[in-house]
Amino acid sequence: MGRGTWGCRYELHSLLSLTLTQHPALLARQPSPTTNMVVFALLIINKAGGLIYTRTFAPGIQKLDSNDYLILAGTFHGIHAISRSINPAPPPPPSSSSTPNPSSSTTASQPAPQLPSQPPSSTAGNPTRRRPHTTGIESLESSHFRLTCFQSPTGVKFLLFTSPEQPNTDVVVRRCYEMYGNYVMKNPFYSLEMPIRVEKFDRVVAGYLVRP
Amino acid sequence: MSVYSFYIFDRHTECIYSKRFTQQPSPPRTTSSTLRNGTTVPPSLRQANKDSDDAKLVFGTVFSLRRMCRQLGGVDDQFLSYRTAEYKLHYLETPTQLRLVLLTSPQVGNMRTVLHQIWATLFVEYVVKSPLAPTEHTGGKGVGNELFEGGLERFMEAVFRPQQQQQQ
Repeated sequence: MGRGTWGCRYELHSLLSLTLTQHPALLARQPSPTTNMVVFALLIINKAGGLIYTRTFAPGIQKLDSNDYLILAGTFHGIHAISRSINPAPPPPPSSSSTPNPSSSTTASQPAPQLPSQPPSSTAGNPTRRRPHTTGIESLESSHFRLTCFQSPTGVKFLLFTSPEQPNTDVVVRRCYEMYGNYVMKNPFYSLEMPIRVEKFDRVVAGYLVRP
Repeated sequence: MSVYSFYIFDRHTECIYSKRFTQQPSPPRTTSSTLRNGTTVPPSLRQANKDSDDAKLVFGTVFSLRRMCRQLGGVDDQFLSYRTAEYKLHYLETPTQLRLVLLTSPQVGNMRTVLHQIWATLFVEYVVKSPLAPTEHTGGKGVGNELFEGGLERFMEAVFRPQQQQQQ
C-alpha cells in the first residue's frame, strides 16, 4: 500500500495505454486525410452555373442566406470560365515526334466575348493538332479559408471550403464526388441539374465531412 | 518556377502598369482578322487590344474574387492567391487600394512578400517619390520610368533565376 503501489499502478496504466495505441486496429485508422478535418462548407454547382447543393458543416465562414449562395455560385462559375482564358503560360515547345501544341494561350488570347469552352475555329494548318485542355481555378487561398474546386468531366463543380491548413483537400473533394456519383447519380428519382434532395447523400456526406 | 506577367491597378480600377515576361505565341494563321462589319484589324493593334483585354480580364477576376472573399470570410478577410493547373495568380492590395497582381507558374509558393517588396522598394521609391510623376497615374503616366522598369527586371531575375540555377 502507499506510494509504491500507486506508482506501480500508474506505470501499469500508462504501459497499457501505450500498448493500446499500438494496437493494429487503431493504427490502421490513424493516417487518414480526414482526421482532424475542419470543413466549413460544400457547394455543388451544375453545368449551367446554378447551385444545386449547399451545406455548411463547421463555423468558419460567414453565414449567408440562400440567395447569397446562389449569387456566389453564379459568380464563381463565371470567374472559373474567365480564369481559363487568362492563361498566360507560354506554349510548350513543339517536339518533332508529338504534334505541336499551339497553345492554350492562343486559344486563350481571344478576347472575352468568345466563350473559352468553345473549341477554336477551324485552323487551317495542322490537322493532327489537339487542343490542349486548360483548366480553371483549382484552389483559392484567402486568409481565413481555402476553397478547393473540382470540376468533373461533365462540368459539375464541387467547391469545398476548408481552413487554410487543411491538407489533402483534393482527396476530400474527390471523395465527395464519389459519393455524389454513388448516391445522387444512381438515384433513379433524381433529375439531372436539379437541386439535390437526396437524404442518403446528405447523411453520407455529413458522416464523412463532420468529425465529432 | 517562372514568372509570366505582372500588373498594377490603381484605385480607379485602371491598369497603370503591365509587363509580360514571356513571349506571346506568334499570331494565328490569318495575317489579319476581320471584324463583323468587314473592316480588318492590323496585327499590332490587335496585340495591343489583346493586352488591354487581358488586363481588364485579370482585373475583373481579381475584383470579383476579392468581393467573394470579403463576403465569405468577413470584412477583414484578404484574398491571397488562386491556382489553376497552368498558372498561379498572386494578389496584394495596399492600403491606398493599389493592386499588384503577379502571374507565375503553378509550383511557386507564397509570393506575398515578393509583391510587398516590389511595392515598397520599387514602386514607392521610384514612382511615388519621383517628383516628375503625377499623383494620379491615368493611362499609366509616370509609372513606367527607367528606374522602376530596370529595378523590376533585376528584382525578378534575382527572385526567379537563382532557383533555376540551383536546380541545374
